[in-house]
Amino acid sequence: MTDLLRSIIQDAWPFWLISLIASLITITIIMLAAVGTMMLMVWLERRVVARMQDRLGPNRVGPAGLLQSIADGVKMFTKEDIVPRAADQWVHMLAPIVVVSPVVLIFAVVPWGRGVSPSDFGNGVLFVLAISSISAIGLMMAGWSSSNKFAMLGAMRAVAQLISYEIPAVLALLSAVIVSGSMQLARMPELQGGWPLVGTTLGGPDLGLGWFVFTPVGLVGFVIFFIAILAEGERTPFDIPEADSEIVAGHTTEYSGMKFALFYIGQYVLNFVLSMVATVVFLGGWQGPLLAQLAIGNLAPLGGLLSLVYMLIKVWGLFFVMIWLRGALPRLRVDQLMDFAWKLLLPIALINLFSAALWVTINLWGSSPAWTIKVIIPVVSIDLLGWLETASPIVRQITALIVTAALNIAAIRWVLAINRRTEDEEPEEAMLDVLEQRVA
Amino acid sequence: MNTVVQVVFFIISALILIAGILTVTARNLMHAALWLIAGLFGVGALYLLMEAEFAAVVQVMIYVGAVAILILFAIMLTPDLAGESDTPVFQKRWLALVVAAGIFGLLIVPTVFNYSWGLYEVPEGSTLTIASTTKLGISFMGVYLLPFELASVLLLTALIGAIMVGFEPGTRRRVLTLAEEFRLRQKSAISNHKPEEERALPVPVQPDASSEESNDRGLRRDESRQLDP
Repeated sequence: MTDLLRSIIQDAWPFWLISLIASLITITIIMLAAVGTMMLMVWLERRVVARMQDRLGPNRVGPAGLLQSIADGVKMFTKEDIVPRAADQWVHMLAPIVVVSPVVLIFAVVPWGRGVSPSDFGNGVLFVLAISSISAIGLMMAGWSSSNKFAMLGAMRAVAQLISYEIPAVLALLSAVIVSGSMQLARMPELQGGWPLVGTTLGGPDLGLGWFVFTPVGLVGFVIFFIAILAEGERTPFDIPEADSEIVAGHTTEYSGMKFALFYIGQYVLNFVLSMVATVVFLGGWQGPLLAQLAIGNLAPLGGLLSLVYMLIKVWGLFFVMIWLRGALPRLRVDQLMDFAWKLLLPIALINLFSAALWVTINLWGSSPAWTIKVIIPVVSIDLLGWLETASPIVRQITALIVTAALNIAAIRWVLAINRRTEDEEPEEAMLDVLEQRVA
Repeated sequence: MNTVVQVVFFIISALILIAGILTVTARNLMHAALWLIAGLFGVGALYLLMEAEFAAVVQVMIYVGAVAILILFAIMLTPDLAGESDTPVFQKRWLALVVAAGIFGLLIVPTVFNYSWGLYEVPEGSTLTIASTTKLGISFMGVYLLPFELASVLLLTALIGAIMVGFEPGTRRRVLTLAEEFRLRQKSAISNHKPEEERALPVPVQPDASSEESNDRGLRRDESRQLDP
């Protein structure tokens, strides 16, 4: 955008002014896209859930009820903004802003299509993680400033859930970072071309299907990350912070009018942008068949358009799965939520990280001094991975596939077995007996 | 350094200073914590101004995302601290001022005297580059491997310590949840079920009291624990 403006204005204005204007234009486009997407998402969710529950859903305003979200928005705008007398006025007012602005900031590093990325931030993956954790402070502010028990409980639940599920999410993203060797979100899709599983290492025509999710490491990472973003976006199996049958509406209890709408928008936009991150990192982003053939010459703009279409199809597909889960699953309890994050996702994610390191070692890097075992110092030394240098790429790929798949399957079975065993033994009973004796 | 960068620098530093002052003067502890977060965020912005992307992102991730939330949790879980309070914890202001000024001076004086003010110019075409994340990672895994590993051992120790704090003292068991405490009470209520008036009477405790009475005591202690917030 900056380059485009510079070519128009021809350096008549100072560089910083041009950068500022270019940034403002980009930000405006993204904000409009975000709000428009959010309205479509709400409509889609209501219609799809209605279909799953054998209802009709909103179908009166506009064709097939498409304008329902706009009607709701107008309603929200015209509502009175009520602030409780006991509330902390300033913190109460700032909380929705602190919740929503980090969510919008995530858009800054996520690419939409080939060569279409708002900024070229080198540490994109880290940026997403750091920025998304700011929302927790906003939730805390909302819960505390409302001086309402339900709001406080909801905020506590929300923050506990957010910081618990952040850890598996980070580890899952790290496995992708290790394999791709880049933290730049804008570059991640470029690295996922080629054929399924093998990428571009074996050559052949570029199918654009070397998505990370087709490898054993990426599959496990993707599932973990998707579950974690369900929890971070407070989607249904994990919508404990605003469980309306238990604690009214959680931290949004004391909000009305446009402030409530901001929380609502923030949540949907967060779902959308986290789906985008999952797509970019694990599902190949804008990669797809035919794109490599449309990269050069007159057809390049067409290829760019096609990449945007691929990206949007994948993101909306992920969001559809989220709606699907909402229609299918009941809400978890708080302790189940925590157990799931710490006892199941975290160990699997850690072992997945290890197999990601093995995957790149076997596939790309080859042996290192760490793999050399000196049996009798320094007379005989065995290089455990020395044979990799001479092996053909196909052999290395197959070895990597077998090793990581075996490791991941074993890890998942092991973690599941551990969790099942503690359930069978009924530790509570034994503990209660011990404690009863001690109290006596 | 061009003018725009300087203007932005002064704005950010002014915000950090204001936030810092408000952190220590705010009466409400929650407000103080929020101002602290604003200050930490501003420091992140300063790093970004110096084009230290990695440091900026990590600053936000660790201080704003983790430490600040921990502080907020601690404040919220401490009922007496969350509200307004008119009495500062420490009353001797002059002593505090002297100690604070002394420490600040100790830190700032060597910096001031050893710093060449604006005399250091980056020569044209110098090879000084901004340390990328890759270089940082390589130096962590190479030159600074030992400090890096030691820090991770320290963090692991803290982690294990936190888990040990979570256990019921003396056992290898975790702290009871509310549901388990309720079941414990139910169990002991069933095992020594008595008429109401007998339980309500304060039973003088004998050294050779029967097991039933001591069970009853245990039950009541549990009840008092429940009432105490």
